[in-house]
Amino acid sequence: MESELKCVIDALPALVWTARPDGHIDFLNHRWCEYTGVPVEDSYGHAWQSAIHPDDLPVILEQWGFAIASGQPREAEARLRRFDGEYRWFLFRTCPITDASGQVVRWCGMNWDVEDRKRAEFLLASITVERAQGAAALERSEARKAAILDSALDCILTIDHEGCITEFNPAAERVFGYRRDQVLGRHLSEVIIPPSLRDQHRRGFARYLATAEARVLGKRIEMPAMRADGSEFPVELAITRIPLDGPPSFTGYLRDITERKHSEEELRRSAAYLAEAQRLSLTGSFGWIVSTDKHFWSAETFRIFEYDPSTEVTIQLVLDRAHEQDVHLVRQAMALAAEGWDFDYECRFVMPSGSVKHLHIVTHCTRDQAGELEYVGAVQDITERRRSEEALGKARSELARVARVSSLGALTASIAHEVNQPLTGIITNASTCLRMLSSDPPNVEGACETVRRTIRDGHRASDVIGRLRAMFTSKEMTIEPVDLNEATREVIALSRSELHRNRVTLKTEFADDVPYVTGDRIQLQQVILNLLLNASDAMLSVDSRPRQVVIGTQRDADDCVRLMVRDSGVGLEPQGVDKVFEAFYTTKSGGMGIGLSVSRSIIERHRGRLWAAANDGPGATFAFSIPCEHERRTGDCNVDAVRTSSATNAPQVMRNL
Amino acid sequence: MIMKRSFVSVVDDDESVRESLPDLLRVLGFSVRAFSSAEEFLGSDCIGYTSCLILDVAMPGMSGPDLQRELARRRQEIPVVFITAHSKETVRHSLPAQGAAKCLFKPFSDTALLDALHEALRRN
Repeated sequence: MESELKCVIDALPALVWTARPDGHIDFLNHRWCEYTGVPVEDSYGHAWQSAIHPDDLPVILEQWGFAIASGQPREAEARLRRFDGEYRWFLFRTCPITDASGQVVRWCGMNWDVEDRKRAEFLLASITVERAQGAAALERSEARKAAILDSALDCILTIDHEGCITEFNPAAERVFGYRRDQVLGRHLSEVIIPPSLRDQHRRGFARYLATAEARVLGKRIEMPAMRADGSEFPVELAITRIPLDGPPSFTGYLRDITERKHSEEELRRSAAYLAEAQRLSLTGSFGWIVSTDKHFWSAETFRIFEYDPSTEVTIQLVLDRAHEQDVHLVRQAMALAAEGWDFDYECRFVMPSGSVKHLHIVTHCTRDQAGELEYVGAVQDITERRRSEEALGKARSELARVARVSSLGALTASIAHEVNQPLTGIITNASTCLRMLSSDPPNVEGACETVRRTIRDGHRASDVIGRLRAMFTSKEMTIEPVDLNEATREVIALSRSELHRNRVTLKTEFADDVPYVTGDRIQLQQVILNLLLNASDAMLSVDSRPRQVVIGTQRDADDCVRLMVRDSGVGLEPQGVDKVFEAFYTTKSGGMGIGLSVSRSIIERHRGRLWAAANDGPGATFAFSIPCEHERRTGDCNVDAVRTSSATNAPQVMRNL
Repeated sequence: MIMKRSFVSVVDDDESVRESLPDLLRVLGFSVRAFSSAEEFLGSDCIGYTSCLILDVAMPGMSGPDLQRELARRRQEIPVVFITAHSKETVRHSLPAQGAAKCLFKPFSDTALLDALHEALRRN
């Protein structure tokens, strides 16, 4: 019986063993030894443990310990080493054999090869895990996608290979005016593409599917799109193919660029206006970021400084053009700029051609968000304006000079003519007299006649001066009320540039309570101009003190108005005080000495008086005083008498001029 | 060369010239008659036997050059010495370009007058 049993035990498709109650293995079946390749003698006791995988041994021993301690069956899994060194999973089961009292007398156990099962279990487990992971990943991915689509500001659509919409995010719903469920499955071209472009879209789509030739993929395109209500609007669009196997699907990202298009248009227009305005007003703009030394110039700025627009802008470009006399101004301005000052200055620049430009430069400093210094400025070409001002100034003083000279010139011609007539008589008569007296016998009677004529012609000559003076002021006077302050201001305006040219400063002291005078405004202004220019001329040689002229008005005694002109010039000799008003008296080289005598006669014709006095300090003061308006009206003066009676030869003289 | 007692006509609107010049000319040996205007001269009977005209350039009415042209038109040219109280500049355009008629500027000396008269008579 025992050998039969032994055969059975050896044949069992399991590894069988028994152990004493203390755990000492005392029997192992044939299969055990065959499997482990360890002879049975080497497995008795605890030696069998060496066949167990070291990692799994603790579990086995633990379970074994429980079993022995509890007397209860136990099982565990562990890897058992095969004869070829390979470990395979086995299920270890053990049961107690008890006696009648329940005492364990023996343990028996069986080990089954569960390797395959274990592998399958693992595989299943890993598949399950993978699947779970995959599901989790998918879920996460889905969640992410949803989050992206939902929160995207841009419209995101996906379409399948047939062109039907498979995704339509909330932004798209908003922009196009559809609900997602309204558009899913519908053809894209029906939904968002305007009718005019549908064919083009279909053809393009079909071409891509057929040839894989993509004209629109991966590029940013602008095109019109259509809303649910049929209205069209511009969008910016980018289409990508979704990188999966199988039939193609596409994602489109759209942005409503209506606003942007408007802004672009506005910007374009305002930039064009600005450029045009800059061009018309010859004003260029520039900017300078100090920390990075980055400059930008508008087109007009390049034109003003005469550099090619492609030139890189640096400070040196400006310095290179600065006029050598003004370059210090530019440097000063730059230095101030670096410290954060605003500045405003005019200066001359020299262009490559050699021409000089006057430029007016204004800059303003700001700080950007980071607190960095930044400049905005404008430069204006004021050359023309300066030239015009200079030309005007020159023309004015030229005019004043010519007016003086030509009136003097005219005067000279008429004087010469008038005086030459009696002079001829005098010389002719004197020659005759000489010949008569030296003839044999002397013609005394004839000589006396010539002498008589000579004396008469001499008188005629002096009459000429009187007549000429009268002729010069013989224009008919226009009598009207005249505000002397206003009249003087006009004269000052006329002579401003002349005074400026002579570096004369003018101070005015007009009284407010000065009443109107009656007279010829133009003639009075001639007198004022004469006095003003004389004052200026008197200071031409003065350099050691400021050249100042004071002109003022005030009420005078006897209801008169006084106008005075005070200079700080060369002054008057005591005897010159009256002499200056004599005709032909002048202290000016090249002067004819007519001005003051004429002025005096004008003032006298206004029933006033003109006089001069030396100042306490340097210079002289000339003044005239004429009666006020109301005095005139009540006066016994016959206004018509002021008109000059034409002297005998005056008309002839006028004609012959 | 002075022909015996050559006859000179003086045309000038200036009274002192009409007074003084004839006396001087007489003392110099000429016969003289003075006229106050070109028209007066033209209306006189002296045209025929005037050997030389002393003409003021600028006169009211017909001027000296006008008179010269008128005489030329009448084919009664007479040698002319112009006199004027104006400056060279002023009379520059009035005087005829051709014809070397001399122009004396007042006041002129008696010798200058004499020289001009001789020159004018010589050319004739």
